[in-house]
This record gives sequence, structure tokens and C-alpha cells, in this order.
Amino acid sequence: MNMKTMRTIIALTLPALIATAGVFASGQDEAEKPSVTVLWAIYDGLTEEYRLELESAFEAEYPDIELDIVPIPWDQLFDRITTSIAGGDPPEVSVSATRWLLEFMALDAVEPVGNYVSRATLDNIADGAKEAVINGELIGLPIAAGARILAINNAITDVVPTTMEELRAEAIRVTDDDAYGLVMPGRKNAELTDFAYYFYAAGGDFFATTADGGYGRSTVNSEAGVQALEFMVQLANEDRVVPEGFLSQVRVEAHPVFYAGDAGYVMIGAWVESALGQAGAEFDVTYAQIPGFQGMPSRPLIGTDSLVIFSGAENKEEAGRFIDFFYQDEWKARFDELVGFPPVTISAASLPQFQSPLYQALNEAALNAESWPLIEGWGEFSDIIWDAVSEVLLGQKGAREALDDAAAEIDALRGL
Amino acid sequence: MTRPTRSRKIWNQETRLAYVLLAPALLFLVVFMLIPILNVFQMSLFKTDKIGRLGDFVWFENYMAQIRDADFRRIVLRSAFWTLTGVVAKTVLGMITALLLNVPYRGRRVVRMLFILPWASSVPISVMVWTWVLNHEFGLLNHTLRLLGIASPPIWLGKPISSFISTMWVDIWIGIPFMALVFLAGMQSIPEDLYESGYIDGVNARQKFTYITLPGIKHLVIIASLLSALWTFNDFNTIYIMTRGGPAGATDILITGVYKSAFVWLKWSQASVMAVVTFLILTIVAVFYARMYFKEEE
Repeated sequence: MNMKTMRTIIALTLPALIATAGVFASGQDEAEKPSVTVLWAIYDGLTEEYRLELESAFEAEYPDIELDIVPIPWDQLFDRITTSIAGGDPPEVSVSATRWLLEFMALDAVEPVGNYVSRATLDNIADGAKEAVINGELIGLPIAAGARILAINNAITDVVPTTMEELRAEAIRVTDDDAYGLVMPGRKNAELTDFAYYFYAAGGDFFATTADGGYGRSTVNSEAGVQALEFMVQLANEDRVVPEGFLSQVRVEAHPVFYAGDAGYVMIGAWVESALGQAGAEFDVTYAQIPGFQGMPSRPLIGTDSLVIFSGAENKEEAGRFIDFFYQDEWKARFDELVGFPPVTISAASLPQFQSPLYQALNEAALNAESWPLIEGWGEFSDIIWDAVSEVLLGQKGAREALDDAAAEIDALRGL
Repeated sequence: MTRPTRSRKIWNQETRLAYVLLAPALLFLVVFMLIPILNVFQMSLFKTDKIGRLGDFVWFENYMAQIRDADFRRIVLRSAFWTLTGVVAKTVLGMITALLLNVPYRGRRVVRMLFILPWASSVPISVMVWTWVLNHEFGLLNHTLRLLGIASPPIWLGKPISSFISTMWVDIWIGIPFMALVFLAGMQSIPEDLYESGYIDGVNARQKFTYITLPGIKHLVIIASLLSALWTFNDFNTIYIMTRGGPAGATDILITGVYKSAFVWLKWSQASVMAVVTFLILTIVAVFYARMYFKEEE
């Protein structure tokens, strides 16, 4: 390469480099304003307007902080969080299912929220709602805590079943060309929810309890598991009281059948009322408890989600300020109302909007509710169980065989 | 005249400029391709924690664990079947489409543009639209089938075989336009004289295709089917959006297995073994095609 060519290259490259450096430098000026990124689960009932209003209101109150609330479908949230942690660029704050916190703690990825959130905010949350206390530390603040209930379309039936057997009988009675007895999503969303309804109703537990109170062998293949799964097969494949294509439907595809007034019963969460409202449903609905099987008490599933701060995030102090802002009644109570969850803050609990029949049913359900096991690796275990459930619903295996295989696989993964 | 020495060949005025110009691209490849690939190889030989940090060196224990796993063996076989069927279908349908688009008729340009649409559209959006079309309750396909008198149309995305066929069809549908376009470009570069000579010799349509068209685009068929094999083998979008590998794992292929192992179950060693197996299979396929291609050229 002669000097002339070299000079030409330098002459062409240098201005480009200077221009690029200038762009980066100006970007850095912008970046000096600390930003808080929040991964925001798109709960049923939560509107985009609310998210944008919250963002604007926070930035008006704290003009020196940039807030970016990133809406993410619930079934993609876990992947999104783990990829951001693995990539070394976690958000400041995220909604998280409480059971995921064990995985995040194993990665040293989360910090106790009390390090950044004010005492006033912490004291305004009912102790019973603080499920994310792990090893004595409050890792996340409850953002949504709600037990599941039974919603009944009164245009189809008024019967409030007191056992699963009664539910089945009534579902069979009301099923005809225009209506299904029951809604049952048959495709795994992010959870194992629809099996858990029947499993807990039969008195089942996913794991045995060891002498020290820990998790022992998998007991998904217990009599309760087999009874629950055989009952689901009866409803779906023999009685045909659920939509024919249930195996291809995740929750957000299956529940609209109820919202449209085409099903008698649905086991659902607190968002039911706002989802019905958004769907323009005009029929009356009764809220009741998910019944147990004959001789068993009602034992609904309860799911809690938390708001967590990530240890690898850049602006944790500012993240704490966002959480303090969000937990004021003006925003958190409105959030609870939109998604339909009972309020977790003491100040919001007495607000008139939370005294309706729906909230009464939810509060009653919470008294007997059972949550997911707080065990590391639950994501994979629930996939194994759901595959077993699918195999049985597809007629590939019997309930006993499928659940025995699932339990053995889970135990093997845990080295038991 | 003296012959330039080897070192002069590698480092002279002309090559120096070439190296300077190639350096940014090379740096990019090393940082974003080579290092991650080596990292995955390394990870497959170690135990890892949930964030992918390396623990004990375990030689090929992770590989042996996967080989012993019946699910993994099923996934490898399914991936091979998925790719083979997909590539053959795309090649055949792409060829038929190209032949139809190569015939002169009124409105041919519009038809050609319409054929490109599936390929030009965003893949996730196309897949989501197909998911709605195939929805059992309100999907366009089953609605049409019901209008035609089929009271119980298939549950396309709810049963193992129909799910596999549905996802496969969508993958094929997206891939046909690329094949058709490549073949069409090749067909248009075949000299018209050859067809005229054939016409004088009295060849029929089948002979025209077998002895003139196909040999004329053979190289393109090899290249296009290689690319299609690589894309089909790694078609994550279609399966993940439509079925997430279900029901009961019936549509899981290697690439969805890698994703689940890494990002859902946080099992990085297992995921990297699957990724290495994918890499090796695709390398073998690429080498096989390359040898075939260069043999043809010779």
C-alpha cells in the first residue's frame, strides 16, 4: 500500500470516526439522566392507557428520572427476565411470579426490596400478603395476589356446585348445541393451572414434605393426582362438556368462550370482572368457590406475583422511588381494580370499589387457598407434569402410567 | 521474469489494502460468531450454573447424558424428518411455482409480486395469522370446512400429528417464494435458443424440463436447497409461536429444545450440547452440498 492510498483511506475514515464519536458523546449526555426500566406483565384487564399515564405521572413527579415501562405478555416474561440476567443487562424492576424468585436468588440476581423502598410503603402492605419472604428477607413486594374462584354464567345456569361431582353433573346438563358446560384450556400457557384446580380439589400435593419441612419426592402420582386427571379426561373426552378444540387453546384463547356467554362455568382469577366488562358481556355472573371432590374441602389455587429489584441493575435507588410512587392508592388501587386482584395495601383495602361480591368470593377463597410449590426447577417440573396431562388427554397413556412416569422423571432430576 | 515468493504473494501492496478493508468484517465475525461458537463448545464440556457460568470440567458426560435420553433422540429424528420433508416440499412446490410464473401471460407481474408476499412479510406475523386461520373454534379454515358440511373438522393445533402437519405447512408456505424466485431467475437465464432447438427436434414439455430447464438451473437448485435446509432446520419462529413444541412435545425440534433448555429451564450445558449437535449436523449438510456443488462445477 503506498502512502497516497493510505492517506486516502485515513482521509475517508477519520471524519467518519469523529462523527461516530460525536454521536456517542451526545448519547452519553442523554444517558446521564438515570433511567428505570420496568418489565411489566400484561395482566388481563390492564390497559395500555394506564401504563402510559403511570409513566407520564412518574416522570412529571421526578423529571430527573427516565421511566420505561415495557409491557410483556405473561407467558414470555420469565424468558425475558432470564435472558436479560444472562446477558448481564437486567432491568431495574420487574414483575415476577413469586415462585420464580428462588431461581433468581440462586443466580444472585435479586436484592431485598427493603434496601430501596421506603418504610412507609412497606408498612402499608399487609403482612399476610408478603409471600416473598425468603430466608427471612422480603425479596419482592406483592403486586398481585389472588386465589382462583368459580364464575357461573347465570344465563345458562344458577346452580352453585358444592362438589366437583355436582359441577360435572350440571355441566353435562347444560351442554347443548349453543353452550358448553365448562371452559378448560388444554394447551400449556406459562403455568400448570388447569390441572392444579382439580389436583388441589382432590387433596393433592405436588411433593411430599420431609421431616425438616422441605420438599421430598414428587407425589403428583398420588391417588389425588390420578383422580384429578381421570376426572379431566371424563369432562373433556367422555362428557364433552368443554369446547372441542380445548387442546389447542391457551388460557387467553379459551376464556373468551365464557366472556362471550357460551359456557356455564369457568375456573378463573380475579381479572374475570374487568375481562367480562371489556368483552361487553351482558349476562349476570355469580362468583363461588371452586369446590372440592366429594368429601374434600374447597382448596383453590392462589397465585402471587411480586415486584422485584435486580442486583445487577444500574439505578436501584431510582427503582425504589418508582415503587414508592406506584404503591400510592392513586396508582396501585387503580391497578388492582383494573386487573381485578384484591388490594395488597392496607390503605386500599377499605376503598368502596373493593367491597363487591367478586372481592368477597376472592377473600373467602384466599382463606383455604394453596399456592405453587416454592421449589427450584419448578419450571421444568411443571413442563413434565403438563406433558403427562397432555398425553392422558390425547389418549396416549393412562392417568396412572403418565403420572408415575412424570413423578419418576422429576425425582430423577432432583437426584432422589 | 522471476516468480513472486510465497511471502510476497501474501503480503504485497494489493493484499495489504485488502486486509485493511477486510479487517472490520473479520473482527465482527470473530467477536459475534467465532467466540460465541467456541463458548458454546466449551460450555458443553462443563457443568454450568443457572446463568451459564462454568463449573467442573466433565469431558463428554453432558453428551452421554443426552444420548441416553430418549426424548433427545426423538427430537433429533424429528428435526431430520422436519427438515427433509420441508426442503423437498419447498423445492418441488417452488419449482412448480417458478414454472408457472415463467409462462408468459397477462398479469404475470402482479402474480409474481403476490407470490413474493409470504416471504417478504414478517415471519412472526405470518405465523400468527396462520395460527388464527387454524384456530379450531373461529379459524377461517375450520369455518370453511364446516360450511362445506364437515361437522367435526380437525383440531389442527391440538393433536400431535395435525400439529406437526400444520406447523410444517406454515414453514413450507413461508419458504416456497424464495425457492420459486431463485428458480425463476435461473430459468430466465437459460438461452431461448436451447428451447427453440428442442422445439425443432420435437421435444415434449416433460423432455424440455428434464433436458433443458433442470440442467440449466441445477446449480441454483443445490444452493437454494442448501440454504433452505439450514433455515428449515433452524425454524424456531413457526413452531414456537404456533405450538411451543406441544402437544406433549410432538412438534419439538432441536432448535426449540435448545431454547427451552437454555431460557426456560436454565440448563445451559444441556442446551449447548444440543446446539453443538445442531452445528455439527448443519456443517455436515453444508459440506455435503459444497462437495456436490464443486463436483458439478468441475
